[in-house]
Amino acid sequence: MKIGVFLCHSGPDSINYESVANYARNLPEVDLVRDIGPRPKPDPNLLAEEIRVRQLDRIVLGASSPGRLKPAFTRAMALAGRDPTEVRLASFREHGGGGANLTERAKAIVACASRGVPFSLAAVTELMPVNHATLIVGAGVGGIQAALEIADAGEKVYLVERTGTIGGHMAMFDKTFPTLDCAACILTPKMVAVGQHESIELLTYSEVQQITGEPGAYKATILKKARRVDPKACVSCGVCAEVCPTRVPSEFDCGIAERRAVYMPFPQAVPNVFLVDEASCTYVQSGGKKCGACAKKCPKGCINLDEADGTIEVEVGNVILATGYDVLDARRIEGYGCGKLPNVLTSLEFERLTNASGPTGGRIVMKTKQYNKRRKVDEWVLSADGEPPRSVAIIHCVGSRDSRYNAYCSRVCCMYSLKFAHLVKEKIEGAECYEFYIDMRAFGKGYEEFAERIKSEGAFVVRGRTATVTERDGQMYVKGEDMLRDSVVEFPVDMVILAIGLVPATGTRELAAMLRVPVEHDGWFQELNYNGDPTETERGGVFVAGACHAPKDIPDTVAQASAVAAGVLKSISRGKTVSSRADVNLSSVEARAKTLQVQ
Amino acid sequence: MAIRVNPKLIEDIEQYGAEEVSNCYHCGNCSAVCPHSADPFIFPRRSMRTLQMGLESKLRSSLEPWLCYYCGQCSEQCPREAEPGETMMSLRRWLTSRYDFTAISHLFYRSWKAEVVAIVAMALLTGLGFALYGFSSGDINTYDGPTAFLQSPAVHVFDWTMAGVLTLLLLVNSARMWWFTVGSRTDIRVPLLSYVKRAVSLPSHFFTQKRYAQCGEKGPWLVHLVLMLSYVMMFTLIMFFLHEVQAGPGINWNVHAFGYIASVGLIGATVVMLRGRLKKSRPGNKHSHETDWIFLVLLLYVAVTGVTQHVLHRTGFDLAANIAYLAHMMGVVPMLVLEVPFGKWSHLAYRPLAMFFSELVADALRENARVTTQVGIGSPQPARV
Repeated sequence: MKIGVFLCHSGPDSINYESVANYARNLPEVDLVRDIGPRPKPDPNLLAEEIRVRQLDRIVLGASSPGRLKPAFTRAMALAGRDPTEVRLASFREHGGGGANLTERAKAIVACASRGVPFSLAAVTELMPVNHATLIVGAGVGGIQAALEIADAGEKVYLVERTGTIGGHMAMFDKTFPTLDCAACILTPKMVAVGQHESIELLTYSEVQQITGEPGAYKATILKKARRVDPKACVSCGVCAEVCPTRVPSEFDCGIAERRAVYMPFPQAVPNVFLVDEASCTYVQSGGKKCGACAKKCPKGCINLDEADGTIEVEVGNVILATGYDVLDARRIEGYGCGKLPNVLTSLEFERLTNASGPTGGRIVMKTKQYNKRRKVDEWVLSADGEPPRSVAIIHCVGSRDSRYNAYCSRVCCMYSLKFAHLVKEKIEGAECYEFYIDMRAFGKGYEEFAERIKSEGAFVVRGRTATVTERDGQMYVKGEDMLRDSVVEFPVDMVILAIGLVPATGTRELAAMLRVPVEHDGWFQELNYNGDPTETERGGVFVAGACHAPKDIPDTVAQASAVAAGVLKSISRGKTVSSRADVNLSSVEARAKTLQVQ
Repeated sequence: MAIRVNPKLIEDIEQYGAEEVSNCYHCGNCSAVCPHSADPFIFPRRSMRTLQMGLESKLRSSLEPWLCYYCGQCSEQCPREAEPGETMMSLRRWLTSRYDFTAISHLFYRSWKAEVVAIVAMALLTGLGFALYGFSSGDINTYDGPTAFLQSPAVHVFDWTMAGVLTLLLLVNSARMWWFTVGSRTDIRVPLLSYVKRAVSLPSHFFTQKRYAQCGEKGPWLVHLVLMLSYVMMFTLIMFFLHEVQAGPGINWNVHAFGYIASVGLIGATVVMLRGRLKKSRPGNKHSHETDWIFLVLLLYVAVTGVTQHVLHRTGFDLAANIAYLAHMMGVVPMLVLEVPFGKWSHLAYRPLAMFFSELVADALRENARVTTQVGIGSPQPARV
């Protein structure tokens, strides 16, 4: 048999096509190897001529997705009077995903195609015995959902969370789109269930320090940061926070409100206990010389300000990454006045402002200038009795779909921005609301209807992203092009909300390196296969759920988390998990392909 | 009327320098940051759109490219690196070639080699012509007087003839510009009175270039204004006081004072512009088309040879002065003949005309809007879409 191999460069850059071509030349029965470049337009007549001259019996088409090229080659085979079914595809993308060692993998795929053996049969991965416990990194809604699914099936879960409470970003939200459900009403029952579940070991205020081992038998070292409050004894009476003299911006409230050095992130936190932030605690920072008021006043005596960090080691079979996202730092973007103009808020800040359990009790108000007696300066503060804005501008795509910041679409901004318009219209009588958008991406179930509903509620939805927010004589102006009216518009506004994009959470790359899981160009974890395996990764027994994989809204995150749980439970019920898929052993694939061919 | 679509319009414009027009996804950022973009002339996004849609006739009738001075804020802020500023620049080149009825500028803008060949040929022809004339009627060793190599009355006649021809060409092209942008538009009617009322904008824009000053930075405007005023000063001296300028060897401060100021302005501004383009100092300087270089280099050459022949004559080197004069003419004639009607210099007419026409069009559109609002069509409120 004479085989012709045609290689097209349409795949990932990390494949060394020259090396693949040289390898293919040495394969048995291969008569011709041709590199057909990145965007070939094969001509069946010319190909047929070549096939006839070379007397080729089989064509191997190697490319990222060679299906596109197949018809031309099939036709050429038919024209040359050969068997048109002998056009074999070597699909690098379908069989490889992204990740490391793509060249070796491509060679193996070509070798299988040249022998007419399916790659998936020849390249069986090893199965390893699996430990039944599961480690979940990140306890946002995705981590919580996966933990509950697995724990409800009776398996052990270690749920590690960096902050003092589980809940993640969803706990900060007031309403969810498009149903306008109360976010807390959906999330808090799940949080409480996690806190009380006998199969879930909750490790809040903890970070994964190191993960070693192999698929099915990972060993994780987890740093338990000193909470300095005994979680078993604390009854969250709050006396400690009352006496704490230190005030710092609250992370949970995105800095629009303050917290003490000893605090509980929010009243519904799970675990519902206080913790001491060592960075702002006077006692800790002074090395035990100053303050210590909270420990003295605690009626339960459960504060130990001298507690040290500890580590624990856990052995698990599977690891679920659910680390979520951070938001883009809007101060990087000039022109919108973030960080300079007081009433320019980011979307997350507005979420806290409009949240019924937020610092203003859910009243949407402008910041007012107040004299700070302690610091002796005028500062802009939010107080519940502030003036509500009469007009609010919401700017979409801030830092998203922008080659200077994030080239990708952050996917959730259009919808939450529309939700904001609804909240402004609902909470402030007679307020005007302007949405500046580029394209309205209302893609999900009920989303388009939601967008229509918001428009009918009277918000001005302006097609055209604004470029500048300026202040003249104490009044902010937003200027933009209204494309549908074909004019340049400038509106005076009292408040501007920037719909900032999503970026991978800090530490994503470190975690990926630790686990040898590939990350994409933008820093998101890379799934095994975009369409076929969106929850698994190159590394056996390591899964991704939620926004750490790509920007995602709540329904999609929850769905993916449940899917991940299914994958984990599958490996547990089989008792085996696949070993790393990143390393394809070329010689073993070759050997297996040979045996299969003979059969 | 049916609108003809030219699917290759972007490819056509790319030959004039534009690069990434197809990248644009119409966020409107550029139109919002542009200090000149205002109703009814919103740009650069609308021009990008017209380009992407291939609406050649609409593009030809647009005045927007001439309202842009390429401060480059749009390109800096563009989230898609679509280079709207450079597109506007390329559109100015393209429009220049559309206004030009001879198709010569079409050739020059797309092939700088053709332009260089034309300049060299024209220079050689000029040199030959003047040398033949000089040797037949004068003495190469004398610069002025009755036996001068190039006698000023004769050069004067030549200058005026050339000016007449070039003005005629520029007038024809300007008339075509008027027809494309105002005259042929069926949606507006510009009353004659409007032309009279707005006529003052022509000289006011020509001499102050006040719109340029509204761009973010003042520096480029100032340099450009100095160049333009120096040029006008030198032009006046040569067209009306050529005899006084050339007569020597003494220095006639009544004319030469102006000559020196103009020379310093011309050389200084040209050097600043060349340096800016070399260093790519601001967004507007980042993409230099070959014609931009040819224009500036010619200008510098002409200014320097002009100064040289003047200095040589005053210092008594008449032979060298005559050679420098010849070299000067070999630069001036191709520069004016090829650049004024067909090249970058044509913007001396198109820019102020565009300001003038844009005011006429804006008035007419306002009148249209007033009429439609009166009869109850359209809404002054933002559309609730």
